[in-house]
Amino acid sequence: IILTVAEHHSAIVPWQFVSQKTGAVLKYVGLTKEEVPDIEQLKGLLSSKTKIVVVHHVSNVLGSMLPIEEVVSCANKVGAKVLVDACQSVPHMPVDVQKLGADFLVASSHKMCGPTGVGFLHGKFEILSSMEPFLGGGEMIADVFEDKSTYAEPPSRFEAGTPAIGEAIGLGVAIDYLSHFGMQRIHEYEKVLGSYLYESLLSVPNVRIYGPAPSASDHRAPLCSFNVENVHPTDIAEILDLQHGIAIRSGHHCAQILHRTLGINASARASLHFYNTKEEVDAFIHGLKATIDFLTSHH
Amino acid sequence: MASAAATSAPLRLLSSSPLSRPLLSRPHLLILSRPVSFQRLAARSAASPTPSTSSSAPDPSPVDPAQLPPALRDIIALFQSVPDERTRYKQLLAYAARLPPMDPALKSDANRVRGCVSQVWVHAAPEAEAPGCVSFQADSDAQLTKGLAALLVLGLSGAPARDVAMVPVEFIELLGIRQSLSPSRNSGLLNMINLMKLKALEIAAGQEVTGGQEIRQERTETPAVEKEEPQFEAFGGQVHESSEAERPEEEEFEEEPAAVVEGNGSLGGGRKERIRDSLERGLSPVELKIEDISYQHSGHAGVAGSDGETHFNVRVVSKEFEGKSMLKRHRAVYDLLQDELKSGLHALSIDAKTPSEV
Repeated sequence: IILTVAEHHSAIVPWQFVSQKTGAVLKYVGLTKEEVPDIEQLKGLLSSKTKIVVVHHVSNVLGSMLPIEEVVSCANKVGAKVLVDACQSVPHMPVDVQKLGADFLVASSHKMCGPTGVGFLHGKFEILSSMEPFLGGGEMIADVFEDKSTYAEPPSRFEAGTPAIGEAIGLGVAIDYLSHFGMQRIHEYEKVLGSYLYESLLSVPNVRIYGPAPSASDHRAPLCSFNVENVHPTDIAEILDLQHGIAIRSGHHCAQILHRTLGINASARASLHFYNTKEEVDAFIHGLKATIDFLTSHH
Repeated sequence: MASAAATSAPLRLLSSSPLSRPLLSRPHLLILSRPVSFQRLAARSAASPTPSTSSSAPDPSPVDPAQLPPALRDIIALFQSVPDERTRYKQLLAYAARLPPMDPALKSDANRVRGCVSQVWVHAAPEAEAPGCVSFQADSDAQLTKGLAALLVLGLSGAPARDVAMVPVEFIELLGIRQSLSPSRNSGLLNMINLMKLKALEIAAGQEVTGGQEIRQERTETPAVEKEEPQFEAFGGQVHESSEAERPEEEEFEEEPAAVVEGNGSLGGGRKERIRDSLERGLSPVELKIEDISYQHSGHAGVAGSDGETHFNVRVVSKEFEGKSMLKRHRAVYDLLQDELKSGLHALSIDAKTPSEV
């Protein structure tokens, strides 16, 4: 099983379970010096023993995007499947599943303006048809006898029991809402706003932003994970929230392996979505500077 | 519609200005037919198993500052006298700066407080000059957390270990620091306090806590196993489940402090200890396992007003039971625990066997 060090825990821990059950070996792709997962290394790790490659589309910490089509084409050559974690890309840009060619693609509702507790897995029909159910119960069966049952076709096969109907409907509404703006339009707007965030953040003294610069790659997500020298990200987030009414996240962002790889314990992260404005970015930068002053000046 | 771009300065980077107009061109109103109301469930983690059978909103019983160790009382008074929140945070940062440095050797995994985004360590040791008292050291890499830790260290060091073990966690509210109430901070701060109380309790019970959580019992058949910190994530129920999983065979010492720290200055906890003592003296058991399951019963009428330590599972294997019917065995156990039954012990679930039956 090939993963990258920048995967979200939800794309790591389940594979650890699988590894424990099946004896499969987990191999991690590291970062280049631009702080992007090393695709050449990934290609080098592929072999006939590779069963599946699990990669993010866009990193929730680094903001980088991976060349999925290239990964899929290389993986196919050795007969490995590809699972793409698109939680960070689907809400921000058009994602053409067919074009990417991944065998599986996942995204979560609450990242795309939808309710929590629901998400989706998109899988190639032939593959899903060949898979055993993992959850048994109502709806996923065809015929049930005392000693055995036959199973329904996908997707029902994998949706045992009464589903989270309200949540699913909510997700549908969220999708309609986003589609109403158009994912391309959202993407264009966020590209500019994201760059503005990055450049503005760079202007703050002692700030270190993780991941590639916007100019280096053709895509950088509208988020910045960063640290300020000698100031703990948690302190920054707390004061920004309590004294400036600005919410950022601090911690490891469900990516402990990545943080360890970068040599840090935690980072702060400011992230944007299509509803954010340039003025809000300015307010964040202003608040950040004031917060840093507050935290460093009391000595 | 007037553009929101009235005050925006030209962008530095781009000649075109796609940002001069936000994507959402007018304020977005989500119209709800009726305002959504939220009712806060009585927080289990913030207090002892509050049996809120009648009230749906939390009603924190006001903490009597007189009950708190004097140093802590002074600190609280200081915070309450500060006029605005911003200065209170400055005060917290000042405490952080004041905290004496912690011996790096003490920054072990066993001293690590769980549930904090930052790294926090807490160490307790008996106070050399004052028997029965405890002194603390703490550190954190985040300043605000360090400030909170400093507050606790300065407020609780030097106090009798028993008192520290019984400090009601609600005193946090008296500080007037709003950030202590935010969820992620809450669990970290609570865990810090609970860890300090746990360590104080162990010292009070006369057992030295070395770097790890190695707890040496005086009369156990098997040596205590060095284990990780108890998980205090969700208070009440979780503590019992996790320590149950970690030490299935012998007495789970961690459960007692959980029962104690949930107590709010009542008989002072330690009921499990007393049960153990009484049963050991009266029955000389070859096996004795006691489990506080009060959390399963909090919320029904019999428990209202008490502070945990009301329901226990007891498994006793003793020769004394030979020849006795089930009823007689249970009577024997109850007879030995009369004092407890009179002072709030509600019910026992007893599994009484002879050695040959096991």
